Amino acid sequence: MQQPSPLANPLATVAQLRETGSQIDNIPRDLEDSVRFAGAQLTQAAGILLRLPQEVIAQAIIVFARFWLGPEGGSLAEFGARQVSAASIYLTTKLSAYPKSPRSIVNVYAYLDSIPFPSFETDVLRTENKAEEYYVSEGTYQTRKLDLFETEQRILKVLGFQLQVSLPYALCITYLQALDVFSHPRASELAKRATAHLNTALLSPQLMYLTHQPPSLATAAIYLAAKETGIKLPDVEWWEVFDTDREELGFLVVALLSVESFAKEEQKVWQGKKVPMTVEAVEAELKRRHASQD
Amino acid sequence: MSSRWADSEADAAEAKRRKKEKEEKKRLKLQKQQAEQEAAVRAAQQAESRPSKRRRLSNDDEEEEGKNGPSSKENESQRKLLRFEAGSWAPCRHTSNFETLNHIEEGSYGWVSRAKDITTGQVVALKKIKMDTHHQDGFPITAMREIAILQRARHTNIVSLHEILTGSASDEVVLVMEFLEHDLKTLQEDMPEPFLASETKTLLRQLTSALSFLHSNFILHRDLKTSNILLSNRGHLKIADFGMARYIPPPHAPPPTQLVVTLWYRAPELLLGTETYSTEIDMWSLGCIFGELLLKSPLLQGKNEVDELALIFALCGVPTDKTWPGFWRLPNSKSLKIPRDPSSSSLKTSSQIRSKFPSLTTEGVSLLSSLLSLNPDRRPSADEVLRHPYFSEAPKPKPMELFPTFPSKAGQERRRRAVSPNAPKRGEAPGMGDVDFSGLFGEGEGVKGSGFQLRVV
Repeated sequence: MQQPSPLANPLATVAQLRETGSQIDNIPRDLEDSVRFAGAQLTQAAGILLRLPQEVIAQAIIVFARFWLGPEGGSLAEFGARQVSAASIYLTTKLSAYPKSPRSIVNVYAYLDSIPFPSFETDVLRTENKAEEYYVSEGTYQTRKLDLFETEQRILKVLGFQLQVSLPYALCITYLQALDVFSHPRASELAKRATAHLNTALLSPQLMYLTHQPPSLATAAIYLAAKETGIKLPDVEWWEVFDTDREELGFLVVALLSVESFAKEEQKVWQGKKVPMTVEAVEAELKRRHASQD
Repeated sequence: MSSRWADSEADAAEAKRRKKEKEEKKRLKLQKQQAEQEAAVRAAQQAESRPSKRRRLSNDDEEEEGKNGPSSKENESQRKLLRFEAGSWAPCRHTSNFETLNHIEEGSYGWVSRAKDITTGQVVALKKIKMDTHHQDGFPITAMREIAILQRARHTNIVSLHEILTGSASDEVVLVMEFLEHDLKTLQEDMPEPFLASETKTLLRQLTSALSFLHSNFILHRDLKTSNILLSNRGHLKIADFGMARYIPPPHAPPPTQLVVTLWYRAPELLLGTETYSTEIDMWSLGCIFGELLLKSPLLQGKNEVDELALIFALCGVPTDKTWPGFWRLPNSKSLKIPRDPSSSSLKTSSQIRSKFPSLTTEGVSLLSSLLSLNPDRRPSADEVLRHPYFSEAPKPKPMELFPTFPSKAGQERRRRAVSPNAPKRGEAPGMGDVDFSGLFGEGEGVKGSGFQLRVV
């Protein structure tokens, strides 16, 4: 086998996108989308509380997303999004330069469980400081730790140990430099906006990081950010320099733009309720849906 | 393909965009056809054509296109964009797809055996991962690092990882790797004579090119030794066992452990407790392996940390302010009672490498001495080693095809348990700060080969 490009990610196959483990277990597609979206946000929030760099959090979210895809992927009837999110963070940090103990992870998820979703305010997460109140008891810790380790192994198995993640963040800055935008007075606004889009893409129900390579993601983020900030980029097909064709660019831009309306819709649907993040909660939600149909 | 996720608004936008794109394509196609007709006419008119190879980015200035002729237009339609491929992922296969042939060795974190893929008949090496029975940290980090690094490190001189299997037991995990007939350690033990100079060169060059690849990909091996280096019957060398390997950490991350590299191959700065080390520690190990290939036995067989350091200083001389300025800032250097000015004592500051390897050429001695520089900053990089005149002088490196073949222990029979010490394990050895080196030069006498006591305070 050849040396894989350091810029490339393993991508989902068509078969993996067509059918998921949850669908085989008759979990409605919209529910799966909601749980996956909430799970990605939960992972992001846990990563912030664990003081992890965004690259590590992004990797964890991508591992989390890979787990659910394909007929042999994880099913919501067997795994709760919370446990998979926690195990994804645990796995990713273990391989990174910022390992986190099972205890920190268990405590952080216990705290996040107490916050009604979806109201993770990034600023609140960064300032809140009453961690001790949420420390779990020793017994609970032991149970959750075992659960964490078992889920970790299942993720490794389902992914065939494919934890490689290449991220577009550094590429994005390199591309902006190549486009010579940093001489512009509002260049940092553009760069921030582009980075924000890359973070948004992590939450996308279209699983952009599992279907497109980092160079294209970075290019689309820059394209959209430039349009939004009104900063003019070269009047040529510059995206081709970054190996993205017009069609892919268009698709990614539309996908990036659609996350906001999806998020708003989710907020409306789940207003006052919690997105089911455990196997039991998913079962309860399914029962509730059946009951309301009758 | 309609998007199953996007809302209707986005769908509409998408459809519109696609339509526009289609029109654009149609227009381009028409243009191309016209251009081709023009080209035919023009080709008939003028014999000498000047194809413009300019790569174009813009569609806008079409008048210019006409001038440049058909070739530029063709370039445009063929504009090749780089495609990045990194495959996909699929669940682990079951271990029952393989049939075990014989066991090879038990390593520091797993059992290795030779096996056959039942469907393809391919012979492979299976490495079963030892799971931590106490479940302190979940899946073993060493195995995770080895897998992650082997997945990335595809090189002709690095053992290739085919896939990972799981067994019926939830914690049974097996690495499937390519099988090579020998490891350098066992092979050398069974050889009556050391490798020839030309063979040593070929082996060292393959080893160094693997190291150069690893280091340029920010990977430290951290446990290079002859038992981790495999050799095929065709003289092809590959580095194996990445259980200690890791990526060079980012600048502000907590420093990695100093408890790395098997004692006999461990660089002096590690023995002295440095917190910041990098690729130089692998280069020291490379020097030890070079010496071992020449001698047919390990170069610096210390009994413990103190003894190892004593052997190093006996071979390379004691460090001085001049040869290793950073030496006195290392945590354990204070407990070494080396005089600041060793020239006034009987301690040797010069290297004994020349006299230890009488048959080695001057270039060979120069390469070995530089690899075994006490000061890590003076050790050459892997790339520099590859450019060293040692490899271009006579005798030339022997072509791999001309390598002698040997009976394979791993392939045919049970192998003796390795007697060389293993890489240090987490929490096994006392912290380096606790090792008392004060006995090493206590009497101010010349360095003895061994016999120092390891005293834990």
